[in-house]
Amino acid sequence: MSLFFRSIRPAGLLLAGWLAAGCADDSAPGTAPDLSQLHNRPASQVDRFGLPAIATVFIPSAQKDAFNAAQPANDRAQFTDEVVAVLTVFGHPDPAGLASALLPDIQPVNTSQPSGFLNGRRLQDDVITAELGLIFGGNAALNDDHVDQNDKPFLPTFPYLAAPFLP
Amino acid sequence: MRRSARARPAVWLAAGLLLTLGAGSAVRLLTAADHRDSTVLTANPTQDIADVYSFQSPSDPSRFVIAMTVAGFIPPTDVATAQLSRNVLYQWKIDNDGDAVEDLVIQAFATGNDRNQVVHFRGPVAPARVGAVNDIVEGPEIGTVHLSRGAEAEVTTRRGISVFAGVRDDPFFFDLARFNQIVGGAATSFNNPGTDTFAGFNVVALAIELPAELLGGPAIGVWGTTSLMGN
Repeated sequence: MSLFFRSIRPAGLLLAGWLAAGCADDSAPGTAPDLSQLHNRPASQVDRFGLPAIATVFIPSAQKDAFNAAQPANDRAQFTDEVVAVLTVFGHPDPAGLASALLPDIQPVNTSQPSGFLNGRRLQDDVITAELGLIFGGNAALNDDHVDQNDKPFLPTFPYLAAPFLP
Repeated sequence: MRRSARARPAVWLAAGLLLTLGAGSAVRLLTAADHRDSTVLTANPTQDIADVYSFQSPSDPSRFVIAMTVAGFIPPTDVATAQLSRNVLYQWKIDNDGDAVEDLVIQAFATGNDRNQVVHFRGPVAPARVGAVNDIVEGPEIGTVHLSRGAEAEVTTRRGISVFAGVRDDPFFFDLARFNQIVGGAATSFNNPGTDTFAGFNVVALAIELPAELLGGPAIGVWGTTSLMGN
């Protein structure tokens, strides 16, 4: 059995079972809206996000909207040149190889392993300092932005995100 | 193989960031966190993804959490009017076989009036159409929840799936202002302690926690999308 079927079919069946046991929309707050009108409105992609900073760093402003509307499966064909150009300017030893590794722009995660950037991305992961450290090594002036955590503590339970700043 | 190969070089993202900015690209610098990363998205904040997160539940490794933040830089004075767009389909796309095409999607969309939005979640399910143009998948909802704007997060949990939508503190942190000074030649080092440029600002967040087995895998690829619904 291919990886595809091992992974996809059970997931679909599981969800079906989940819903069949009690799918009444009993917790819908408020009056049930008329959702039927939403089903014939094809939706066109305007933004996307996989790993932090790919679009920001490597995609020129003029192509930003095109990148945001593009599909990860086409990333290598469409945007390798842009990534290579940036890497080449700065003397990376293997721009093409690295570009191939950076694209497609997807966040990989193994759900059975403990999470933490780059296995997924937790709220508290200090992505910026991790990257600065890898770039600048022992250069203490530049290898840490010294912002090590969020301005508010995260919650221990879902939704984990901290309360908003209110007026 | 692909995933492990991706993991190591991804750290060069920041190298590229710094080097690119060091070349004098002040414009890119100001967008260095994917918040407001294009003119179009800046004008349409409810379409503008700030960040995507994916992680095991800290209390139960059999459960998995995926979150997306949009509409960055919401000041406290704008919380009362912050909302999702009723014309935008918010999705997490999940690749199960390494081809960078979504095999499953989790969708969220908003209904209701501006002051009392309800956000509907569907999936994870194989979509009828993959790629740039998508449709709302068949229901029923796996969860619906009011858009929260207060200190308390309203959460709906049904059959082991929890959903949330609402205004929260932006979880991203970075001394972007100092970084800009360094790149611009106005400074040569970070401050210690640094100053979180994103402190005090809010985002609109969507989050779901569900049994990890519903996502296939365990090796998956995750990305978030926003899509504008046609009339």
